[in-house]
Amino acid sequence: MDEKKAAILGEIPRLRRYARSLLRDRDSADDLVQDCLERALLRLEGWQTGESPRRWLFTIMHHLFIDQMRKVNRRGEAAILPLDANEAQAVPAEQAENAASREIIDALQAISPDRRAALVMVAIEGFSYAEAANILGVPAGTLMSRIARGREELRSLLDDTARRRSIRIVEK
Amino acid sequence: MTRRDFSERDIHLALDGELPGDERAAYDAWIDANPEMKAKSARYTADRAALRAAFAGVLDEPVPVLLKQIVRGEGATKVAARQSRWWLAAAAAAVLVVGGLGGYFAGIDGIGRDDGADDQLAEEAIAAHVIYAAEQRHAVEVPASDKDHLQTWLSNRVGLKLVAPDLVAEGFQLVGGRLLPAGQGKAAMLLYEDAKGQRISLFVTADSSAKSKGTYTADAGGPEAVYWLDKGYACAVVGSLPREQLAAVAKRAYGQLVAGLAS
Repeated sequence: MDEKKAAILGEIPRLRRYARSLLRDRDSADDLVQDCLERALLRLEGWQTGESPRRWLFTIMHHLFIDQMRKVNRRGEAAILPLDANEAQAVPAEQAENAASREIIDALQAISPDRRAALVMVAIEGFSYAEAANILGVPAGTLMSRIARGREELRSLLDDTARRRSIRIVEK
Repeated sequence: MTRRDFSERDIHLALDGELPGDERAAYDAWIDANPEMKAKSARYTADRAALRAAFAGVLDEPVPVLLKQIVRGEGATKVAARQSRWWLAAAAAAVLVVGGLGGYFAGIDGIGRDDGADDQLAEEAIAAHVIYAAEQRHAVEVPASDKDHLQTWLSNRVGLKLVAPDLVAEGFQLVGGRLLPAGQGKAAMLLYEDAKGQRISLFVTADSSAKSKGTYTADAGGPEAVYWLDKGYACAVVGSLPREQLAAVAKRAYGQLVAGLAS
């Protein structure tokens, strides 16, 4: 049992990175990781030794993410309003991000959750198509098309941002 | 060398290391002969590098103690009792998708809620707004001309240090306030009006143990509530303004309310 827990502990940095790419906001991402870890511990018995802890944990987290994405429809616009007490008092939220990172993180948040997850899984987390398709629970062809469309959307969003930036410069 | 037709799809396969080894040479020859595809491949490669760079720092961050405690079984958190807030960020993403990319979620109806505290607050705030904002002579119990008394009285009754936010910069003047029931406790309602006679209300209660924030509309086309719940207080701003304007007003009101509570 302790071996399993040690393996889970070792995966936390990766889980945090994946959550951050899905949700952007650091606290929200860590909340997702927390939910994932809690669920994982409840299901510790169901985790087959031999199965990669990473794949097991990513699968749990992805299910949590997608389930919630489907539930939030009605409360919709919630976080579009930056309304934490700290933010309301004008404390800059993201300190460590440079402008280029911010742009690509913004763009990533703007693509659909399914495509975002597929793209991140392969491009950042380094899973193979077969592994990613397995974690996301979709056929390989679906995964492929999500990755391709995700990349295309990301590119066009980044281009839009760059265009707006250059217009602003021209207007000055 | 394998002969087959390559397409844009293969750019992704190549980039992701999924291209069979025996097709690599033919692929390289194909892409060298297609400047457009070559540019695309270079662009995707660059975007991927930027994505990796943007998130690389996360792996070096110290792992929050709470997360380690959970795994070690040291944390006393109860799964069911804890409020998860990460869906808020998920909601933001969903909105961007609906707004920007052709309604990815358009076909999915609102599914059941996990918890009712925020809905209840929003519904009470909207109900109060619908009733009292429509009143001309009896909209408030204590008028803005008696603001000091209004603040002291409502603070004592509700059990919070309540400061009526100054929303003049957003075009809204305080009309006054009243005391209302809310859940098991009491709520303060502050009513504001702009030059055109449009009204918004702030609904504040100390009766909250949940932590949440969001927007809520009871009926399509009806007033909308922007709400926050935190431990020890909850607040909703209600009005029929365009969403961006309501959000701006709400943000200003919230900043002052929180500052007032802490003063």
